[in-house]
Amino acid sequence: MANFGAKILGASVSSMTAQQALISNAANNISNVNTPGYTRRQIDIESRIDVATVGSILQIGSGVQLGDIKRSTNEFLEYQLRLASSKKGYADIRNDYLAAVEPTFALDGPQSVVGSALNNFFSAVNQVGVNPSNIDLRINVLQRAEDLVFSIRSAYNTVAEIQSELNQRVGLEVQTINSYSQQLATLNAQIGSREASGIAAIDERDQRDVLLAKLAEKISFRTLETPNGMINCQLENGFPLVNQETARALEVTTSPSFATATLPRSLSGEILSYVTYNFGSDASPSHLDLTQLIKNGSGALAGLLQLRGTTDPANTSPFQAEGELVAIATRIEALTRTLLTEVNAEYRGPDENGAVAGLQPSAGDLNGNTPGVFGLFDFDYTGVKDADGDGVASMSDLLAAASSLGDFSSIIKVAFDDPAEFAAARDNNPANGATVFPEGDGQNAAAIAALRSTTFNFSLASFSFTGTMEELYNATVSYVGNAKSAAQLDVDVAGANITSASNKRDEFSAVSLDEEFANLIKYQKAFQASARMIKTAGELLDIIVSLI
Amino acid sequence: MTRTSEIQSQRQLVSQTLENRKRVVKFANQVASGVKAALPSDTVDGGTIARYKQTLERIDSYTTTIQRTKSLMTFQDDVLSQANDLLIRAKEIAQQGANESVNSVARQHLAEEVYQIRDHMASLANSTYQGRFVYGGVDDDDPPYDVSSYAEPASGGASKRYVFDAELGTGTARTLAVTDDLSISITTPADQVFGTAIESLERLGRALGGYKTTPASGAPDGGGAAYTFPSEYDQQTADILSTINQLNDARDNDILPERVSVGGRLRRLETGESLLALTKNSALEVLSRIQDADETESAANLAQAQTALQASYSVTAKVLRMTILDYI
Repeated sequence: MANFGAKILGASVSSMTAQQALISNAANNISNVNTPGYTRRQIDIESRIDVATVGSILQIGSGVQLGDIKRSTNEFLEYQLRLASSKKGYADIRNDYLAAVEPTFALDGPQSVVGSALNNFFSAVNQVGVNPSNIDLRINVLQRAEDLVFSIRSAYNTVAEIQSELNQRVGLEVQTINSYSQQLATLNAQIGSREASGIAAIDERDQRDVLLAKLAEKISFRTLETPNGMINCQLENGFPLVNQETARALEVTTSPSFATATLPRSLSGEILSYVTYNFGSDASPSHLDLTQLIKNGSGALAGLLQLRGTTDPANTSPFQAEGELVAIATRIEALTRTLLTEVNAEYRGPDENGAVAGLQPSAGDLNGNTPGVFGLFDFDYTGVKDADGDGVASMSDLLAAASSLGDFSSIIKVAFDDPAEFAAARDNNPANGATVFPEGDGQNAAAIAALRSTTFNFSLASFSFTGTMEELYNATVSYVGNAKSAAQLDVDVAGANITSASNKRDEFSAVSLDEEFANLIKYQKAFQASARMIKTAGELLDIIVSLI
Repeated sequence: MTRTSEIQSQRQLVSQTLENRKRVVKFANQVASGVKAALPSDTVDGGTIARYKQTLERIDSYTTTIQRTKSLMTFQDDVLSQANDLLIRAKEIAQQGANESVNSVARQHLAEEVYQIRDHMASLANSTYQGRFVYGGVDDDDPPYDVSSYAEPASGGASKRYVFDAELGTGTARTLAVTDDLSISITTPADQVFGTAIESLERLGRALGGYKTTPASGAPDGGGAAYTFPSEYDQQTADILSTINQLNDARDNDILPERVSVGGRLRRLETGESLLALTKNSALEVLSRIQDADETESAANLAQAQTALQASYSVTAKVLRMTILDYI
């Protein structure tokens, strides 16, 4: 006859043990209710098989036993969350930095923006026509010209400084990525080791999911879980960032081994760094260029690279780089180069004497002097400015100087500071080669003022625009506004996506206090019932003992 | 079964509260600044707003130019008015002097007044406006008329003559683009306005004063001997009479047409100014429509956003305070 008293006691004890474990698990879940990335744990419980009664007709069972402890996780939801994190990282960084650029092109407030400065300059030149020898009007022209070059330098330098900051930040982001990759490799090793010995590496997996989400904020990658529980992280081209227990550290370099010539400068004159992997050594590097690949993905690093711009090592100009900041700077530079060439060329006037080689200026100032080649707008440069020696400020002169300078927007200046030197007059002497510049003549000023409505072909690197200088500026304002709006929209969409993905993930994985407290009551009642069963079993045994 | 964890509720509530706060800040800024598009990304019309701003700045600049030019034109009108009065008076003197009842001595007395008129006329031709000679063409740092002298007499009013400055630029009129579509001549060279007047006054003065002027027509060359009386009394009378025609020519062909022209240019400037004002109003209206915040709408939106924010606070506080612990 079976010993039912012992069975009752055994089943009760097993139940009390199981309920305590369940209560303990609930306590752990509750304590981690606010832990980022924590996935609630569930303990499987199952009926214990009664070995003694196997095969018998009366298979009552022998209580309950604990099964596996499981994380309530869903790989697809975790993947969705990582995807949303990547897009948010990408959108946030672009939006933040474009927000720093945008005030330079403000529509309201101080009139120091390029558009207003340009307009005020031409207005001042036009007003000189009322009384060309009036010093006050001439001073106004010089002040407005100074405002114009200041606003150009300021706008360009703002963009260039932001690009420089982004260039620095690429290095910091890669350091963070390398740190995460290394931590992931370490966690992979711990998970692999623990699970190989049959112990569930639950906490390590939680930590790894948190790290994967953090890494996804920085860079986009694909994951693949291996049978031993480790996760491999690969870039889009299959480059393994983390391969089981090994992490590959990315390297940011300004002297990649694949560069065969001098690398192009950035807007501020430094070298735009490349994100690479060095298959060689520090002494003998062999870099694999991953810059474009990363840029085309998502994550903060992609956002940085796209905004900062990337450039082919074979390029020679900072404006050949691809990126939104470069596109904005290119527009400013195109305007600057037009001021330096077209405006300066007009400022000298038509050739006074075709019989003499080189352009003989037909414009003159109050002192009777004619302007130099870069007579109105000049730039800081110690080399030969009129490289082709034709006496006309032209794009070929700028291109010759640009090979060692890069940009002109940060070094453009007004050629003189004496208002009498403003050449408002054109030659009144009909004799070829002889000039007279009456003080009250404003023909040259009128010719310069007319450039405000003149259509130019602005062309620099891959950028091309046909219109007036003001139209170019207005198009730049639209470009900046559209880029910032798109970035803001990306942020809004990414914010909504990450909220949705987080909610979906938490719907499945997060701790619900309601659920845990309800479970607690359930487990507590079960524990109380089991304890009562021990008492009942004791009473039964007492009855039996009393019969003896 | 759909689970809802505390962290989800919290995230959702906080997210909605932050969104409502963002809306409150946005509408508060609109109400405070009166502008709904301060940055290019605030609107799809960033480039258009920049263009209208430039248009307004350009209109302000053109308006300033027009006002300066109008002032110059008004000054010229005053000068021409005086010149006209001088010629009328000179003609009266000439008619008086041509009367044969006036003897040569009386004519000499009349000559003094004519010389004064001539000098005044020359000073009008050499008028300066803001330190520049208005009728000096583009060479406006020098007076258009310089003083020269006759060989006979060697002193006195009749010895002085006014010669048009031969410098390059003195005879060149100055034009100015006052708006995109309006370009006007703002000065006329002195010889075209005052040349005949000064010349005829000089001839009249010399004739009344008892001296001939050579050549018989055109600009005086500095020569001209004294009349011999009484034999050349009739010639003197004829010379005086001939200057009346010249005075008429100066007035009818130079001074009055120039004055009409100045008046016409003033009217064109005023028309240009009115058009600029219209364009400015139109540009301001469009700019206001695309850039300025509708105060009523912004205030209503702000009130709505504030209500939503208060509701968010209330709901968040209530929902997050609820716990099953209160019931067990």
